[in-house]
Parts: sequence; C-alpha cells; structure tokens
Amino acid sequence: MDTQVIGHRTPRVDGEFKLTGQADYTVDWQVRDMLYGYPVSASIAHGTLKTLHLDTARAMPGVVDIFHHGHFPELYRASKNQVSEMRLPFEDERIHYDGQYIALVVAESFEQARAAAHTVQADYHQEEGARTSLLDTNQEGQLLESEGVSRGDPEKAFDEAPVTIDHTYDIAAESHMQMEMHATLAEWRDERLIVHESSQGVVYQHKAMARIFGLPEESVEVVSHYIGSGFGNKLFMWPHAVATAGAAQMLGRPVKTILPRQQDMESGGNRPASRQRLRLGAKQDGTLLSIRHDSTTETSFVHPYVDSLGSATPSLYACDNVAISQRLLEVNHGTPCPMRAPGETSGIHALETALDELAVELGMDPLELRRRNYAKNDPASGLPWSSKYLDDCYTNAAKRFGWEKRNPTPGAMRDGDEVIGWGMATACWPAMRLSCSARVELRDDGSVMAACGTQDIGTGTYTIVAQTVAELSGVPLKDIEVRLGESTLPAGPLSGGSMVTATALPAVAAALRNAFDALKEVATGENGAFEGCDPDNLEIEAGALVDKQGKRVSFGEILSQQKLGSVSGDGQAAPGDEKSQYSFRSFGAHFVEVRWDPGISRLRVARVVSSIDIGRAINPSAARNQVEGSIVMGIGMALTEKLDYDPRDGRLINNNYADYIVPCHADMPEIDVELPDNPDYTLNEFGARGVGEIGLTGIAAAIGNAVYHATGKRIREFPITLEKVMDT
Amino acid sequence: MNMKEYSTQTKAVETETTVTLTVNGEPRQLRIPPNVVLLDALRDRLGLTGTKKGCDHGQCGACTVHIDGQAINSCLTLAVMCEGREVTTIEGLASDAGLHPVQQAFLENDAYQCGFCTPGQMMSASAMLEDERIGTDDAAVREAMSGNICRCGAYKNILAAIQTARGQMPTARKEGEVS
Repeated sequence: MDTQVIGHRTPRVDGEFKLTGQADYTVDWQVRDMLYGYPVSASIAHGTLKTLHLDTARAMPGVVDIFHHGHFPELYRASKNQVSEMRLPFEDERIHYDGQYIALVVAESFEQARAAAHTVQADYHQEEGARTSLLDTNQEGQLLESEGVSRGDPEKAFDEAPVTIDHTYDIAAESHMQMEMHATLAEWRDERLIVHESSQGVVYQHKAMARIFGLPEESVEVVSHYIGSGFGNKLFMWPHAVATAGAAQMLGRPVKTILPRQQDMESGGNRPASRQRLRLGAKQDGTLLSIRHDSTTETSFVHPYVDSLGSATPSLYACDNVAISQRLLEVNHGTPCPMRAPGETSGIHALETALDELAVELGMDPLELRRRNYAKNDPASGLPWSSKYLDDCYTNAAKRFGWEKRNPTPGAMRDGDEVIGWGMATACWPAMRLSCSARVELRDDGSVMAACGTQDIGTGTYTIVAQTVAELSGVPLKDIEVRLGESTLPAGPLSGGSMVTATALPAVAAALRNAFDALKEVATGENGAFEGCDPDNLEIEAGALVDKQGKRVSFGEILSQQKLGSVSGDGQAAPGDEKSQYSFRSFGAHFVEVRWDPGISRLRVARVVSSIDIGRAINPSAARNQVEGSIVMGIGMALTEKLDYDPRDGRLINNNYADYIVPCHADMPEIDVELPDNPDYTLNEFGARGVGEIGLTGIAAAIGNAVYHATGKRIREFPITLEKVMDT
Repeated sequence: MNMKEYSTQTKAVETETTVTLTVNGEPRQLRIPPNVVLLDALRDRLGLTGTKKGCDHGQCGACTVHIDGQAINSCLTLAVMCEGREVTTIEGLASDAGLHPVQQAFLENDAYQCGFCTPGQMMSASAMLEDERIGTDDAAVREAMSGNICRCGAYKNILAAIQTARGQMPTARKEGEVS
C-alpha cells in the first residue's frame, strides 16, 4: 500500500497537550464539592484485623467519614475476568497481604485526609506461617491442567538425547512502577456513577462497576483521557476504585483517591515471581529433540491470576517433542496481574537462557543454534505463519552489532579494565485482534472527528487514529479530532496485548467509509453539490469529493450547502477466519554488549542492537520508542528490579522508587532498533501487528547471556544484582 | 502529646497561614495550613496540574519546578517556604511566542510516551541547559538528568531532545564552552 501518512514519522497529535501541562490525567481532575480519600493499609501480611482505632482520626480537622469493614455499602462481586482483585474492599476482617486496605479516610483536603489516615492504629491477630514468596519455599503449587501442552514424547526424547540441559531459573517479582499512581475520582449524579480512572480499559471498568454496584450499564460512565501509563496493572480495576465509589455513594459527594506510591506498589499489581525448570535435549549438531518447560508462578489468596509462562515455548522453535506445565502458588502478596508481555517475558527469558546454556554445552554459536531450529511453520498448530522474517532480523541485527567478531570464550574480550560480554536472544509476542466499533463525523467546517472507546496509555493511539483518518480522507492532521478514553464511545479494546492497532484502526476506517457514503448521499441528493451523480463515480481526494470530470467540492462545502452540521458513520470491524489459516506472531532479535569492570565491580549494559518485525509501523517514531522503552525496562528486569518481601512475615520492604531500582538516564546504553517494514495484511488492511510488548521479551535473557560471556558465571536467579557476579 | 490525649480533645482546630509568592509571573496569595506541600498547593489550590506527583518522596522528579530559576522537587518543599519566591511550572515554560525550545524539541524528537514524567523532565532540562556546572556532552546530560525517572523508558529521545534544544536556546551552554 502506497501511503502518505501511515508508515511515516508523525509527531503525536496530543503532544502539545502533554508538553504544556494541559493534558487531563485522572489525578488532575477536580469537581465541585470534591472530597479526598486516603486509604489506610494493613501492616501485616497474614492474619485478621482485631480492632481499628479511629477516634483520633475522626476528631482531626476536615475529616468527613472513615469507611471500613462494617461501615461500607453491601456490594456485589464482579467475575474474575472483570477485575484485578475479586475480593471487595472491607469485605471481611481477614488480612491476606501487606498493604491490603483496612480503611478509607475521607476529608475535605488532601492534607487532612493524609494526616488523619496516618493516625489510624490497628490491632491484629497476626498469624504464623505467612507464605512470603514462591522463591522462599519448596512448595509446588497447584498444577493447572488447562495450561498444559504436550506433543510427541518429550520425556523419552530427553532421556535418549546425546546432549541435555536441565536447569531451574528464578525471576523475582517486579513492580510496574507506572509514573501515574492508581487514581479514581467517583461522582454520583442522579443515580448515575461517573468515574474518572487511570485505566487501560474504560469499557471494561464500566461493565465491572455496573456489576459491583448493581446498576444498569447505561448508568455508569468511565473516563480516562490521559493515562500516566500502565504496563498491565491498569487493565482491570482494583479495590481502591470500588472503595472510592462506595464512599462517594454513601456521602453524596464526589471523592478522589490517589494511591500513595507505597500503597500502589503493595496493592496495585505486580509481575509475580516465577520458578521455571527447563530441560532441553539436542543432537550434537544442535537439532532440538526435546523441550520441557515446567513453571510455577505466584498469585495472591484473593484472586487466581495465572501468568502463562509457557505459552510461546511450543511455537518458538522446531521441535517434535514439547511439554509445558504450569503451577500456581498462593502467597501473602498483593495480587499479581499482567505486566508488559505477561507470561512470555518470563517464559522466553528461561527458554532463551537455557538455549544459551545448550549452545555452550555444544560449543556452538548461540545464533547458529537458533537458526538450526528455525520454525518455518508454527510447530504448535502446524499452520503457516502469517508473516515471519525472523531470519532477516537475526542477520540484520547481528551485522549491525558486529556479532561475527565475537570470541566465544568467556572473558576473552577486553577493553582496558573492562571485560566485554556479548549475548543474544530471540523476541516473540503473539499478534492479536478483537472486534471493535468506532464513529467518525465529517463536519461542515472541514474537520473530522473520530471516536473509539479504547484509550491511549502513551503508546500513541490518538496519533495512529488521526493518521488513519488523514490517510483515507486526505484531511490534514491538524483538522482531525480524536476522542478516546470514554466508555460512552463505541466500544473499543483494552490497551493490552499489543492489539489496539490491529483492532481499532480497521473499525475507524470502516466508520470513516460509512461517513463517506453518508456524505455522498447528501452530495448527490436534491440540491446537492453533485445532484444526480452516481455516488460510485465520486472519489475522495484531499478532503473533497471529486467526480469524473474533475469537479471538486470540499466536505465542508457539501455539508454547508445543505445546512448540515455534520454527517457521521458508525463502523464495526472484526477478525475473519484468518486464524484458521495462519498463525500470528511477531518475532525479533536482541544483541547485547555488557561491560564488567571487576576492579570496581561495575556491571552495565553498554549497547543493544535489536531488529523487531512488527509488520507495518503505523507511526515509526512512536513504534521505535515502544521498543526502546521495552529495552530499558528489560535492563531493569535483568539487573536491578526486584520486589523484596520480608522472608519473616511477607511484608514488602522496598515500596518506593529509591529502594526499588528502575533504570534512569545514566543507565542508558547505546540503543539501535531496526523495525523492518514487512506489512502483514492477513491480520488487517494496514498490515500492523502491534508493538507495545515484544521488545521486552528476550532482552533480559540476552543481557544474562552477555554477562555469562563476560564473566563465565551463569546467574540463574534474576535480577543479576552485583553481589551475584562478585560471589560465585 | 500522644494519640490518646489528642483523641480526647474536642475537634481540633486547623491553623492557617498566608503565603505570597509569584507563580509563572503572576503574584498569588495562598491561605494554607503549614503542612501543605508546594506540589499540592500548585495542583489542588492553584489549579496548575501540569506539575505531577509520581512518588511524593523526592525520588522520581515528576514534580520538578523552578524556584528563582533553580530546578527543585516541589514535593519536598513546603509551600510556606516559598514566601516571596518566584515559582515557574510547566504552564509557565512556553511564552506568547510559542513553545519553549525544550518543549519544541520534545515534540519533534518524540521524547515521551505517556507524558506524565514529561513536565518534570522538561523543567529539569531547561534549568540544566543553563547550569554552568554541568557539561554539554551526552554523558554529563545523562548524569544530570538522572533524578528524573521515565518508566516508559524514552531516555534516548529525551537526550536527543535536550541536545537539540541546546542549539535552539540562546541561553543554553554550547558545546566547547568553558565555565
């Protein structure tokens, strides 16, 4: 497809709002008579709440009410797929994790609510035997039959394989650390509940709220115009939103609650810790004979979240004998939830590390080992890939990186005091598409409005919707208004799974084409600009209709002539039967250079070269930004990020930005990302497969493999904090 | 006074104090309790919500504003400490002539994703570019900007934007300039 706007670098259409402080994030909203909520959270992880001492807080200036067990509306539970945590706030006095809300103080000002909340004291029956972490225990967890996959005879193939690898990989729990903390502003107006929430899924929260408060869906509205990101922890709502809406209902006044960072980290989601055993069997030439991938992940005692670690493994490499199993262990932590490329980030990490170990065992180049087992079709389904250029990604990234100069001996490459390590890994994420609705309005002033009930979490959705309209209408971007982030708009997808692009753009295009039809009907009707003309003979060109003779009338003029303010089109788009014909995944490769200075014990990632095939990038600058950001997050996962739960009592120790260490400017390596342009038109008419998540898969493994190459030390417990490199 | 004594009192009375300061060139007067933090005063009481709260602990940099031209964490500053001072927030960075060179460079370099840390990044950057203690090379900029966390990880583009703005900003220190 020859395009004018799609596929071209486009500055964000919402950029000026964000850059001048005008963008309205949830935390920025204020409404008349608004009160401030401030949660009080449990200071034990396992036990029951005995007594709450609220007298001091109640006597504090500005305090309006304090909600807790016994003083909160009776509500309904939502289903487990609608919310992040099924347990309702203050449902009972059982404490399942450190940070669980035991009260919500509501006051006239933020300062008053905070001061009062800090005076609340609680007595507990603290119980022994808190399950503090999957990684602190030998307990196996419950086997999930539904997550199991098996083909061939992996056990026999492993036993008979001439070369085998059998190792266990641990990854610590991680925090999303999105910059805008979870926040809710709830307002009841005439039995209608209006919620501003920093949300990755306004339509989903709207349904969940209706269910919990026993309201018709029409009586709930959820708004999220700008989101200070969410890496999965804002997909489905959390108890703070229910507590806030319940308080607002009881008080008859709007209430806004912004979680303090500490509470956000304790109770607002995490990537669960995982333990994975990988058993690989191979021939001497590297051909994989058996892959066995057995995983255990954590969940809380109040919600069964399954991080499916093995889901990429059956598809990634050609191998006849594969077995996947998954177990789930309940621990006394806040409930985990999806975090960027959920499941596969951890699962591919273990597989790609094990492959590196196999390459060492075989004395083979790790890139060559992957090429040797290249899957031409999807080995899981037997279907052909919709589009796969992973071999090009390997070749291009290896060349840009200079991989051919790699000396395979660990520690053999040096630069002054620094030991250089080079490692690589494959990246992979499924390409998904759901059904979606949208509406487009052509207006008499020549502008166009496109609306969809999805949202922009920072990935650039506002801009790609505008680009789609500009591409198909020829109207300049400055005259296109995009409305997202309202549950009252035509239903759109969650901002998750890297599926918004493939899902929403075809619906916007369908709506726009219907709006064109409505415009043509006006134009060819009585007194129309093209009265009597066959609508099929009218073309769309640069914001105008043009007939065969070259007569051109702009959209605005056509409407003005008929005294019409606008015409609109509703559009729906849904996947067809392509999934029965093709398997859809994006692939890529990361090559990493680490530098280890043993004299001062400094380990840093110096250089990353990645080639990630996402089909067509609608906005290449924003798409590249997604991959670069994923790489930064992967550096954190590899080297520093770890939620520390106290092994004595399960309390979260490092619940802040100083003690939970995310990469900062000074940690930045040189990053070189290539996005080869291979449009995948089997998934949608624009050829896009989505880009938000794939960049995070494989990067931590590539870093770990590079650390092995530098130091000769294979660290199987992530993150690779310095003491692990120094110790062994 | 311990908690119990406090609780036996009748409804406590809140004391308020008056603070006069200049915000984005406008004189403003606030009547506030002494525990109001500058960040919250700007956001909740002056409606200047462009300045963001990411941690409330001086750990993330999202709340960076200028006081008398110096970049500071507004979450670590009590509003009452700002008597007579000049505060500049992101809302005051652009002028009638248009976006500040740092804002323009952020737009062109796609130096952000979600945009939530961005006001703080730009307030730090605009002060840093004029700070003669800080070098002009990439490593010096990265070091100086490390108090501003971007969880979206747009650091590469932020660096590019800052170095682009250096060329556009008359008061910025230029490469090779000796302090």
